[in-house]
Amino acid sequence: MELVREASCGSDERSDAWVSVRPADAISVHIASKTGPMYEDRIREVKVREQGAYDHVIRARLLCALKRAGEDGEAFRRPMPIQVAREGTPKGRLRRSRLYVPGNNARVLAFVDVFGPDCVILDLEDSVPPAEKDAARFLVREILSSMDFGDTEIWVRINPLPRGGREDLEAVLLGRPHGICLPKAESPVEVAELAGFLYELEGRYGIPWLVWIMPIIESPKGVLAAPEIAKASERVVCLAFGAEDYTAEVGCERSWEALLWARSGIVAAAAAAGIQASDTVYPDIEDEEGLYEEAKRAKALGFDGKGAIHPLQIESIHRAFAPTPEELEWAKGVVAAAEEAERKGHGAVAYRGKMVDRPVVARAKRILEMARAMGMEVGDAA
Amino acid sequence: MPRNAVGREIPEEVGGKPLTPFQGAFATVPQGRKAAPPLKTIRPGEDKVLPSLEEAIRRVGLSDGMTISFHHSFRDGDLLVLRVVEACARMGIKDLRLFPTALFPCHEPLIRYIEEGVVTRIEGSMNGPVGAFVSRGGKLREPAVLRSHGGRWRAIECGEVHIDVAFIAAPTADTYGNANGMWGPNACGPISFSVPDSWYADHVVVVTDNLVPYPAIPAEIEQGYVDYVVTVDRVGDPGGIATGTLRITRSPTQLRIARLAADAVIAAGLVRDGMGFQAGAGGISLAATDFIAKEMARRGVKAAFAIGGVTMYLAEMLKEGLVGAILDGQAFDARAVEFLREHPRHVIITPGFYADYNSRGCATYMLDFAFLGGTEVDLEFNVNVNTHSDGQLLHGIGGHQDVASGAKVTVITIPTIRGRIPTIRESVTTVTTPGEVVDLIVTERGIAVNPRRPDLREDLRRAGLPVRTLEEMRAEAERLVGKAKRPVFGDEIVALIQWRDGTVIDVVRKVVGWE
Repeated sequence: MELVREASCGSDERSDAWVSVRPADAISVHIASKTGPMYEDRIREVKVREQGAYDHVIRARLLCALKRAGEDGEAFRRPMPIQVAREGTPKGRLRRSRLYVPGNNARVLAFVDVFGPDCVILDLEDSVPPAEKDAARFLVREILSSMDFGDTEIWVRINPLPRGGREDLEAVLLGRPHGICLPKAESPVEVAELAGFLYELEGRYGIPWLVWIMPIIESPKGVLAAPEIAKASERVVCLAFGAEDYTAEVGCERSWEALLWARSGIVAAAAAAGIQASDTVYPDIEDEEGLYEEAKRAKALGFDGKGAIHPLQIESIHRAFAPTPEELEWAKGVVAAAEEAERKGHGAVAYRGKMVDRPVVARAKRILEMARAMGMEVGDAA
Repeated sequence: MPRNAVGREIPEEVGGKPLTPFQGAFATVPQGRKAAPPLKTIRPGEDKVLPSLEEAIRRVGLSDGMTISFHHSFRDGDLLVLRVVEACARMGIKDLRLFPTALFPCHEPLIRYIEEGVVTRIEGSMNGPVGAFVSRGGKLREPAVLRSHGGRWRAIECGEVHIDVAFIAAPTADTYGNANGMWGPNACGPISFSVPDSWYADHVVVVTDNLVPYPAIPAEIEQGYVDYVVTVDRVGDPGGIATGTLRITRSPTQLRIARLAADAVIAAGLVRDGMGFQAGAGGISLAATDFIAKEMARRGVKAAFAIGGVTMYLAEMLKEGLVGAILDGQAFDARAVEFLREHPRHVIITPGFYADYNSRGCATYMLDFAFLGGTEVDLEFNVNVNTHSDGQLLHGIGGHQDVASGAKVTVITIPTIRGRIPTIRESVTTVTTPGEVVDLIVTERGIAVNPRRPDLREDLRRAGLPVRTLEEMRAEAERLVGKAKRPVFGDEIVALIQWRDGTVIDVVRKVVGWE
């Protein structure tokens, strides 16, 4: 270990730790601990001022401080010891909600495992100031390898590839996320490039599943390229819409009408590629009804889910994406009719006088799956 | 050493006084008669107004070893406790027993008077520094005694605590001693905590900075019980009332807990016309109450009453017609004080009306549900309100025991982790409220239902709420934060935690090290 300068990392926020290291002749350790003697044998090995930080937070802060001080050894590139069991996720799993969480905020991240969205997105991009990108990488990596997210699919939003995204990947893939969100996606080339990196890192770190990609379409150029982006890699499972940048670039209002073309374009591009589409976030945290209404409209337009910027938005989104009783009944009928037809060897089948072909059956099955995931009574329909 | 009904070792006596171990929430059958204060009279024309506290202290004959009492309606803005103790110190009086309803961080200067022997015993809640000081052991002549609001009333009424002199901070009073907290430049809301003190103390001194022409109404404290009236420049700082967590929380974790808590009582069918509830002043309780209020408005449901600590949120519910009456023992913000003056169905109650065990009915028994907090809970559903996991005595009981005993459904809201400290323990550091009166424990990880309530379990399960065991949630939190060391306790008892009936539910021992 070779330290060349004094450096520190972290903060005095609740659940965080501030770690400082500097070159010296002998090792000395100073601790100021808010939890007092309760965990002192666990934090003795590091130099910290901690505010109730978990072990993995202290570890992340220490590693980053060491790196800032000049240390850049092999230790930073070794796969993490596996602390939580995690398996890959199915390509078409439920993704009604995707919750963005700032990647360098230890206080918020302390409880990130309990809110139960379908997807959590640990963010390295817009919520992290440039000077803290390195710290956030370490923290996200430690969160990924230490916290059990249960049934939630766990994603990382990296920075654009030319602006730190590559370094983000090197760090966070060690924590084995399910997928990577690519912000400001504008061309299939970027997606293919990301897929290449993922392939390489999966091999290097021994990740036994295909790491998914969720391109975020947030510019007019991105919307126009959406059909190609959606098909750029087998890893792409979902197109997400980001309205903020889009609105700014187009110079339009953030109204339903002004964004309708972009939304429709993204839904169509995703559907054509056989993948999912997820709507933009709703910026007003206080307005639950507004969120619910917008999510209902997104669902009606064909979206499979919607972004959330606050955990309390999840419930409204899930409520909006829940199948209605009529939809449920229709879906049960379609699936039953299709199974009946299959048993009898019929190719085409009608339900309530309407043609039922493969995509219709797929849609019906998807409704049933969603209903089941929400604990609704579905019966034994497939 | 014998163990009480929650498995805690309770010595048979402390300092020569026998202790009765806790037997169960409603096991005690009271015997005998109430204590009686001395008979007194005065003649027409006699003047009760004295020029100074010192003069009052001389007139009532306050001397070494006596017990003096106070209310805590100014909370962290109290000025009277220190003024009286300082005056006693100057006058050479020592060995006092302090019997406040509660002490707050503002009372930290008391530590000096404890060290100097002016105050040698404390019976009352200690929030903050004084509690931390007492926890270190060897400071008081006898262990501190902590009681609930109802328990304090009972202790006075049955003679367990004899008050020599009651000092009552009164934002408004007349020369005859009628007093209230509703009016005056430093109005603080109800001062009814002092009502039993006025009834049973040998001497009663009303202290005010707002002397009004006779009669001061309403007379929360009545002339017939008051010996002297003293005027001071300032009786208390109402700015100290609204400290701490008296706003709806914005923390996502706490909001999730609040949402689950509200959903649980909705699922239990308790949100209905004619209901009664208690809302605490903690951020989670307020948020849960807010969720309930929205549900009530949506369904057109009206509550018959709510019990305070009263905040502006509760006052708004009364104004909007969601609540039929507020029974108020304590104001938690300035808006609550204003509202008390404006609204005829916002009324003051005494701790006896609210919570007395030895009574033929108290308001908490009429509650359908209540949201309460705690520092720790354990696998038996016991709740700790008094100590932290490091063994320090930092909080009073308040109405916790009284409310939990009374409400049909008692909901404890608590995050599984505070800072890094896990709150679900195998066994709580101190038992304040026994699991037998706790129905639901709600955390950000789910809702634990007391096995005594299979009916609730079924309601919650049917509503699709996340019913979990405490053990599951404990293990999950421990996986994140690791196993915390526990303090090692010595023999010295620094405080007794009374159950509301006067039995001892737990003792707080001095911490001597760490395991």
